[in-house]
Order: sequence, then structure tokens, then C-alpha cells
Amino acid sequence: MEANLDLFGPLFLHTLSFWWVIVPTIFLGLIVGAIPGFSAANTIIILLPLTLVMEVEVGLVFMVALYCSSRMGAGIPAILVNIPGTAGAAATPLDGYPMAKAGRGQQALAMSFVASTLGGLLTTIIALISMPILAEVGYYMHSVEMIVVMLFGISLIASIAARDTLKGLIAGFFGLMIGAIGTDVVYATPRGTFGFLELYDGVPLIPALVGLFAVSEAFIIIEQDSILTERGRESMRSTSWAATLEGIADAFKRWKHIVWTSLIGLVIGIIPGAGASIASFVAYQQSRAYSKTPELYGTGHPEGLIAPESANNGVTSGTLVPLLVIGIPGGATAAIMLIVMQYHGIDFGPSLFQERPEIGYGMFTAMAVTYFFMILTILPLSRYMSRITMVRTVYLAPMIISFTLVGAFVPREYMFDMYMGLAFGVIGYIARKTGYHVAAILIGVILGPLLETYFLRALKKSDGDIMTLFSSNLGNVLWVMLAISLLTPIYLDRRRRKAAEGI
Amino acid sequence: MQQSDEDKKRSLGGELVIPVAAIVFTLYYFTTIVDSPWTAQVSAFFVGAVLIALSAAFVVKCAVAVRSGTADLGLGGLFSRADLTSGRLVLLVVTLGYILFIEWAGFTITTFVFLFAGMLALNRGRSLGLIAGLSATMALSGYLLFILAFDTRFPRGPFEAFMKAMLGDGG
Repeated sequence: MEANLDLFGPLFLHTLSFWWVIVPTIFLGLIVGAIPGFSAANTIIILLPLTLVMEVEVGLVFMVALYCSSRMGAGIPAILVNIPGTAGAAATPLDGYPMAKAGRGQQALAMSFVASTLGGLLTTIIALISMPILAEVGYYMHSVEMIVVMLFGISLIASIAARDTLKGLIAGFFGLMIGAIGTDVVYATPRGTFGFLELYDGVPLIPALVGLFAVSEAFIIIEQDSILTERGRESMRSTSWAATLEGIADAFKRWKHIVWTSLIGLVIGIIPGAGASIASFVAYQQSRAYSKTPELYGTGHPEGLIAPESANNGVTSGTLVPLLVIGIPGGATAAIMLIVMQYHGIDFGPSLFQERPEIGYGMFTAMAVTYFFMILTILPLSRYMSRITMVRTVYLAPMIISFTLVGAFVPREYMFDMYMGLAFGVIGYIARKTGYHVAAILIGVILGPLLETYFLRALKKSDGDIMTLFSSNLGNVLWVMLAISLLTPIYLDRRRRKAAEGI
Repeated sequence: MQQSDEDKKRSLGGELVIPVAAIVFTLYYFTTIVDSPWTAQVSAFFVGAVLIALSAAFVVKCAVAVRSGTADLGLGGLFSRADLTSGRLVLLVVTLGYILFIEWAGFTITTFVFLFAGMLALNRGRSLGLIAGLSATMALSGYLLFILAFDTRFPRGPFEAFMKAMLGDGG
């Protein structure tokens, strides 16, 4: 399979003619992405009857535009009120929210939009050109390799909570243990469910996300009249378009950072099941590990915001690669796209690019066009969106609680999930008040079931031989990379300390 | 001087809540898998053992700090007077009520009552008109966007049923 480069120009222009679908879908995507529980996948499911009656090209352009814009939308509440719209944006508030608190919400939004757009656009183009090579990655990722990728995720726990590594690890492993609630994948034995049938399928992610981030945050912010600091309030009162331009310039200055962190997202996106949440944390950790100013991460450092936003948009392009080339969706939204395409009688595999290039390559050009339109339509909004930080917390906190708790209800329609959201809110509140990082708990909840699945798969294939974890060449290369990634920050930190002592 | 030394002490009682909860939960989890096949145990035993070891290490670290006099077991970091003065406890009770009643009263009415009660409690009874208007606007906007426009399956009650009857199938 080779990429047909002559096609791309006309295809891009052809996709531009669908602006009437793309522009309104961008705004729809921003709304659904910003509200926890309303992912792009849910919205496409709700609008499935509409998608199915659309012409196949229009339907695909609609789904792709919704997918990209909802990814970007999830970062908006993450930055402004410390509540990620989806798990993929869970690393965004680490530095985005401190910027908003300091009255730099407008700059943070502009920076996030530019990083998301450039990261998404760049990885789309790379995916388009190098799809035949990238598709090979999916073939080589088996259980053992996936375990190492998961461990990459777990290793982030310690680095996220750098002020107290022990607390960071406790939070992360506590999350892993919570993530292990539910029936086991082989014999369906219920484990740690407290007798609740609703927990047999495992801990639902949206109530965990809503509780740990939104509910706990709402109970914290009421201690102050505003989420802004005194200085932040002053600078918010004097904001102008210059703040948006400053954010754009700050992002462009860090173009190299956008490039390599979005590439991390692209590669992780290609791996089925890995997803944006892992990619954004891996990108954040790698960004900090190789930064000259790691101590600034977590305090409102632009690079700490750019890394997860570029990466989670890189994932968006990555998830389409295995879908189109081998018919394996890389995530929930890609899985729904697969169903819609199958409904229209489209077969996947290399033949798709020869028989229906307007579909195969067209999905990537739709993505590129969406990003192009997004930067034009969304950037001007950053000035007005950032005003939400001016709302008094006595009004903001109840609104956050009501709308996010109802969001926890939506995916499964269980009242139980609203109670779960509140329970996670209490855990999140205690964690925040006592110095445990809620993001570390969330990573654990996300990775817990995935790690177990791949761990069991690897052990079953090898008749329980634990050494199977070191039996693959690619896996061993990844182990070495994991070790390097864990040891490099320690080495760099020591070198920095020695240099400081020398001064 | 003595007071000043005591002020410098770190209150570790609150910090112990998560590790202790983690140990208790892990032990409970183990009791649910003790008779299960190995496939249900292997990953949990690995993760649980690491979690217990880490939590135990933290408990020991705290015990050493308390013994050396640099910390105490107070809950200062977790509970304070601000819980009462900020209206946090009232908000928690109102939130519990929100979840309890939304199943019967539906999204719109319950959200209005919750927002009104929550905002009023936090604002100490001031700005009654503004809060009533804001609560009604938010609840109705939520109804229009999520239920009427997107047909999202939010909990429905008398208001939603009434609107459905008024608007036909659209509601």
C-alpha cells in the first residue's frame, strides 16, 4: 500500500466544499466536549439516525469534525474551572488551571487552541503521508508490548506528584485497585463490588472523572469568593485582544514542543485501546522529564499545557489509522465510525485506498480541513470564554455540581452513577485537602482494567510463565525505553543539583 | 514560645485517611477473591500488595514524625471551621438531596430547587431575586439543550411530562 500523493490537493479542495457541515459541527463538538459525560461518541450515537441517512461522505465529515472539535472542547473547562470534559483532557488542568487562576485564562485558551490545532493538523498530515508505515505499528503491539505501554502510564504517577513521590504512588495504586473493581475477565467472578450489581462491569469512568475533578473542585472553590487570585482578578479586568495574541505567540514560540508531543499522541493513538488519556499523561511526563525548567510544571507553565493538548489531538489522527487499514478501531468514536461505514457497505483494508480513495484519504483531509476551520472560528472566542473565571464561586459551585452529576448519569442511565460521582467527589475532596493528586487516582482507575486484561492475556498465552514479559524484541526495547524514561529525570535532577551546588 | 512550636507541627491525621482507606479497601478486596480462580487474583494481588506496602511505609513515616515531635495526628488539614462558615456542609446535604429527588421530580424541577437552595446557602440568604432568576434560567436552559434539542436521557419528571404533552413527541 502506497500513499497516492497526487490525490491530496483535489481532495482537500473537495473537502473544503463541506464547510457548511464542518463549521456548525465544530460548535456542537465544543459544547459536547466541554461537558463531562457528553463525549463525541455519545453524541454520534444520539445522532446516529441522522448520520445514517446522510450521504456517506457528509456523514463521515460530520463525525470527523465532531471528533476533532470535541477533543479540543474538553480542554476548555479543564483550563478555566479545573474540570476536564473527558478523560483525555485530565492532564490539561495541571498547568492550564494555575494559568487561569492567575488571570491568564485567555492566554491559556489561545495557547491550548493553537497547540491542539497545530498538533492535530501536523499529525493528520503525517498520518496521511505515512499511513502504510504507521499501520505496521498496530500489527506489532501484542499483550506484552501493551503491558509496557501501560507501565509507562503508571510510571507517570510518581512524576505527576513530584512534591511527594510516596503520596503520588499511593494515590496511583489506590486508583489501580479501584479500577480493579468488577468481575474478572475470564470467569466473571465479582470482586470488590460491595454487593452492587452496578459495579459488575467495573467502575464507570465518567462518574470517577466527574467526582474526582468537578465535585471535589466545587467543594474546594467555595472557600474563596472567586477562583481567581487577587492578582488574577486585576489582570482579568484589564484583558484585551493582546492577551489572545500573547497566547498564540507563546504557543508558536514552542513549535518544537508541539511537534514532538503531538507525535507521541499519534503513535499512542495508533495502538488500539491506549487512547488520549494515556497519551496526554505520557506527553506531559516526557515534556517535564526533558525540560530545562521541570520545577515550573504544575505552576502554570506553558509547556505543561501545550504537551497534553498537542498529544490528545495527535491521538485523534492516530486512532483512524488502524480503523482504516486493518479495520480495528482505536477508540469508542472510531468504533462508531466503523459501524456507520459498514452500514454504507464500505470495506476496510488496503483495498479501501484504491477503490474508494475519497473515503480512505478523505477522512484525513476532513480532519485537516476541520482543524483549519477550527483555528479561524475558535480563537476569537477565547477572550469571552475566559470570562467564566470572573463568576462568583457561590454561583459557580452549585452549577458545576448539578450539571456534572447529571452528566455522570447519562452514559449508563443508572441513578447509582450519580451516587458514585458524589462518592468520588468525597474521595477527591479528601485527596486534594491532604496533598494527594486526583489525577494520579484517575490514571489508576483508567489503567487498572487495561493492565489486568493484557497481563492475563500474556500469562495465558505462555501458560503462566512470567518471563513472557521479556520474550519479545519490541517489548524488550520498550522495557529499556521505560527504564531510561524513569532514570533520566533522576539523573538530570542530580546533575542540576550538583550544578547549583557548584554555583 | 511553646505555642509557636506547636503551630509549626504538621497535622498528619488527615493525610492518613487515604492510605488507611486504601489498606482497608485492599483487604476487603482480597476477601472477595480468596476463593476465586488464579485469573481473578493474580493482577489484584500484585497491585494490592504494592499498595499495602506503600501505605504501610507512609504510616510508619508518619509515626516516626509524630514520635519525634515534628507532627501530630490532628485533622487540621481536612476539617476546619471553614466547613461550617463557607456553607460546605449545607451544600453537601443539598447535593445528597438533589440525587435523592431527581429520580422522582426530574431534571428541570430538581435542578432549579438545588441551584436555588445551594446558591442561597452559600450566599447567606442574600440576592434572592438574582438567585431565583439564575436558577430558573440554568434549569430551563439545561432542559432546552439536553432534553428538547439533544433528546438526552436525563431523569424526567412532572415538568418534562407536562412539556411533552404540550409539545407532542418533541418534549
